[in-house]
Amino acid sequence: MAEQPKKEVVLNATIEEPLDLLRLSLEERVHVKMRTDRELRGKLRAFDQHLNMVLSEVEEIVTTRETDEDTFEEIYRQTKRTVPMLFVRGDSVILVSPPVRAS
Amino acid sequence: MSRRQNPSEFLKKIIGKPVVVKLNSGVDYRGILACLDGFMNIALEQTEEYSNGQLQNKYGDAFIRGNNVLYISTSTK
Repeated sequence: MAEQPKKEVVLNATIEEPLDLLRLSLEERVHVKMRTDRELRGKLRAFDQHLNMVLSEVEEIVTTRETDEDTFEEIYRQTKRTVPMLFVRGDSVILVSPPVRAS
Repeated sequence: MSRRQNPSEFLKKIIGKPVVVKLNSGVDYRGILACLDGFMNIALEQTEEYSNGQLQNKYGDAFIRGNNVLYISTSTK
Protein backbone atom coordinates (compact mmCIF):
# COMPACT_ATOMS: atom_id res chain seq x y z
CA MET A 1 0.00 0.00 0.00
CA ALA A 2 1.18 3.45 -0.83
CA GLU A 3 2.23 5.54 2.12
CA GLN A 4 -0.40 8.03 3.06
CA PRO A 5 0.48 11.26 4.77
CA LYS A 6 -0.96 10.87 8.23
CA LYS A 7 -1.38 14.57 8.88
CA GLU A 8 -4.86 15.87 8.59
CA VAL A 9 -5.09 19.00 6.51
CA VAL A 10 -7.40 21.58 8.02
CA LEU A 11 -7.46 25.33 7.49
CA ASN A 12 -4.89 25.07 4.70
CA ALA A 13 -2.27 24.01 7.20
CA THR A 14 -1.36 20.99 9.23
CA ILE A 15 -3.03 20.84 12.59
CA GLU A 16 -2.48 17.69 14.60
CA GLU A 17 -2.94 19.06 18.06
CA PRO A 18 -4.70 22.14 19.37
CA LEU A 19 -1.45 23.96 20.10
CA ASP A 20 -0.67 23.92 16.36
CA LEU A 21 -3.41 26.51 16.03
CA LEU A 22 -1.28 28.85 18.11
CA ARG A 23 1.92 27.89 16.35
CA LEU A 24 0.32 29.08 13.12
CA SER A 25 -0.68 32.34 14.78
CA LEU A 26 2.79 33.37 15.91
CA GLU A 27 3.58 36.95 14.90
CA GLU A 28 -0.11 37.52 14.22
CA ARG A 29 -2.66 39.43 16.23
CA VAL A 30 -4.73 37.13 18.39
CA HIS A 31 -7.69 37.56 20.67
CA VAL A 32 -7.31 36.06 24.14
CA LYS A 33 -10.20 35.56 26.51
CA MET A 34 -9.08 35.47 30.11
CA ARG A 35 -10.66 34.67 33.44
CA THR A 36 -12.11 37.58 35.44
CA ASP A 37 -13.74 39.14 32.36
CA ARG A 38 -10.59 40.29 30.70
CA GLU A 39 -9.82 40.22 27.01
CA LEU A 40 -6.55 40.86 25.28
CA ARG A 41 -5.77 41.61 21.68
CA GLY A 42 -2.16 41.63 20.66
CA LYS A 43 0.56 40.18 18.54
CA LEU A 44 1.53 36.69 19.67
CA ARG A 45 5.30 36.66 20.14
CA ALA A 46 5.77 33.41 22.03
CA PHE A 47 3.86 30.75 23.95
CA ASP A 48 4.46 27.44 25.67
CA GLN A 49 2.49 24.33 26.61
CA HIS A 50 1.00 26.05 29.67
CA LEU A 51 -0.34 28.81 27.40
CA ASN A 52 2.02 31.28 29.02
CA MET A 53 2.25 33.89 26.30
CA VAL A 54 4.21 36.95 25.36
CA LEU A 55 2.09 39.49 23.51
CA SER A 56 3.11 42.83 22.11
CA GLU A 57 1.09 45.95 21.27
CA VAL A 58 -1.65 44.66 23.52
CA GLU A 59 -5.06 46.14 24.09
CA GLU A 60 -6.55 44.96 27.36
CA ILE A 61 -10.31 45.21 27.75
CA VAL A 62 -11.73 44.74 31.24
CA THR A 63 -15.48 44.33 31.57
CA THR A 64 -17.01 45.16 34.92
CA ARG A 65 -20.60 44.59 35.88
CA GLU A 66 -22.50 46.83 38.22
CA THR A 67 -26.09 46.65 39.33
CA ASP A 68 -27.99 49.90 39.55
CA GLU A 69 -29.32 50.11 43.13
CA ASP A 70 -32.66 51.61 42.16
CA THR A 71 -33.60 49.87 38.95
CA PHE A 72 -31.52 46.71 39.41
CA GLU A 73 -30.37 47.26 35.87
CA GLU A 74 -27.09 45.63 35.07
CA ILE A 75 -24.52 48.01 33.75
CA TYR A 76 -21.51 46.71 31.89
CA ARG A 77 -18.48 48.97 31.74
CA GLN A 78 -15.49 48.36 29.55
CA THR A 79 -12.17 49.91 30.31
CA LYS A 80 -9.36 49.69 27.83
CA ARG A 81 -5.68 50.19 28.14
CA THR A 82 -2.74 49.44 25.94
CA VAL A 83 0.47 47.73 26.94
CA PRO A 84 3.54 47.56 24.71
CA MET A 85 4.70 44.15 25.87
CA LEU A 86 2.95 41.67 28.12
CA PHE A 87 3.64 38.28 29.65
CA VAL A 88 0.48 36.31 30.37
CA ARG A 89 0.45 33.42 32.80
CA GLY A 90 -1.25 30.49 31.12
CA ASP A 91 -3.55 29.43 33.92
CA SER A 92 -5.82 32.43 33.48
CA VAL A 93 -6.35 31.81 29.76
CA ILE A 94 -9.74 30.51 28.63
CA LEU A 95 -9.67 30.88 24.87
CA VAL A 96 -7.29 32.01 22.17
CA SER A 97 -8.59 32.93 18.75
CA PRO A 98 -6.26 33.57 15.83
CA PRO A 99 -7.05 36.16 13.19
CA VAL A 100 -9.44 35.08 10.48
CA ARG A 101 -7.45 33.14 7.95
CA ALA A 102 -8.08 33.58 4.25
CA SER A 103 -9.20 30.18 3.00
CA MET B 1 -25.65 2.13 18.00
CA SER B 2 -22.03 2.01 19.07
CA ARG B 3 -19.86 -0.68 20.56
CA ARG B 4 -18.61 -0.35 24.08
CA GLN B 5 -15.77 2.10 24.05
CA ASN B 6 -13.76 4.29 26.33
CA PRO B 7 -13.88 8.08 26.52
CA SER B 8 -10.84 8.69 24.38
CA GLU B 9 -12.25 6.52 21.59
CA PHE B 10 -15.39 8.60 21.74
CA LEU B 11 -13.35 11.78 21.47
CA LYS B 12 -11.41 10.43 18.50
CA LYS B 13 -14.65 9.50 16.79
CA ILE B 14 -16.21 12.93 17.05
CA ILE B 15 -13.29 14.82 15.49
CA GLY B 16 -14.59 16.73 12.50
CA LYS B 17 -18.14 16.74 13.85
CA PRO B 18 -20.17 19.63 15.23
CA VAL B 19 -19.91 19.75 19.00
CA VAL B 20 -20.95 21.81 21.98
CA VAL B 21 -18.21 22.49 24.49
CA LYS B 22 -19.42 23.72 27.85
CA LEU B 23 -16.97 25.45 30.14
CA ASN B 24 -17.02 25.58 33.91
CA SER B 25 -18.12 29.21 33.66
CA GLY B 26 -21.32 28.04 31.95
CA VAL B 27 -20.38 29.46 28.57
CA ASP B 28 -21.06 27.21 25.57
CA TYR B 29 -18.96 26.99 22.44
CA ARG B 30 -20.52 25.45 19.35
CA GLY B 31 -18.34 24.55 16.43
CA ILE B 32 -16.60 21.85 14.46
CA LEU B 33 -14.14 19.89 16.58
CA ALA B 34 -10.80 20.21 14.76
CA CYS B 35 -8.70 18.37 17.30
CA LEU B 36 -7.94 17.89 20.96
CA ASP B 37 -5.10 16.67 23.13
CA GLY B 38 -4.51 14.91 26.43
CA PHE B 39 -5.07 18.08 28.44
CA MET B 40 -8.43 18.37 26.71
CA ASN B 41 -7.21 21.50 25.02
CA ILE B 42 -9.58 21.91 22.10
CA ALA B 43 -9.34 23.45 18.66
CA LEU B 44 -12.71 24.43 17.23
CA GLU B 45 -13.63 25.78 13.81
CA GLN B 46 -16.57 28.06 12.97
CA THR B 47 -16.98 28.70 16.65
CA GLU B 48 -19.98 30.43 18.17
CA GLU B 49 -19.93 31.56 21.77
CA TYR B 50 -23.19 31.33 23.70
CA SER B 51 -23.74 32.66 27.16
CA ASN B 52 -27.18 32.33 28.77
CA GLY B 53 -28.36 30.83 25.50
CA GLN B 54 -27.53 33.98 23.57
CA LEU B 55 -24.97 34.24 20.81
CA GLN B 56 -22.19 36.47 22.08
CA ASN B 57 -19.37 36.08 19.62
CA LYS B 58 -18.12 34.24 16.57
CA TYR B 59 -14.58 33.08 15.99
CA GLY B 60 -13.17 31.48 12.85
CA ASP B 61 -10.96 29.21 14.89
CA ALA B 62 -10.67 28.96 18.60
CA PHE B 63 -8.27 27.32 20.98
CA ILE B 64 -9.83 26.43 24.34
CA ARG B 65 -7.56 25.66 27.27
CA GLY B 66 -8.47 22.24 28.60
CA ASN B 67 -8.78 23.10 32.28
CA ASN B 68 -11.88 25.20 31.55
CA VAL B 69 -13.80 22.35 29.91
CA LEU B 70 -16.82 20.91 31.69
CA TYR B 71 -18.05 18.68 28.89
CA ILE B 72 -17.93 18.05 25.16
CA SER B 73 -21.13 16.90 23.55
CA THR B 74 -22.02 16.07 19.99
CA SER B 75 -24.48 18.49 18.50
CA THR B 76 -27.15 18.02 15.88
CA LYS B 77 -26.40 21.33 14.20
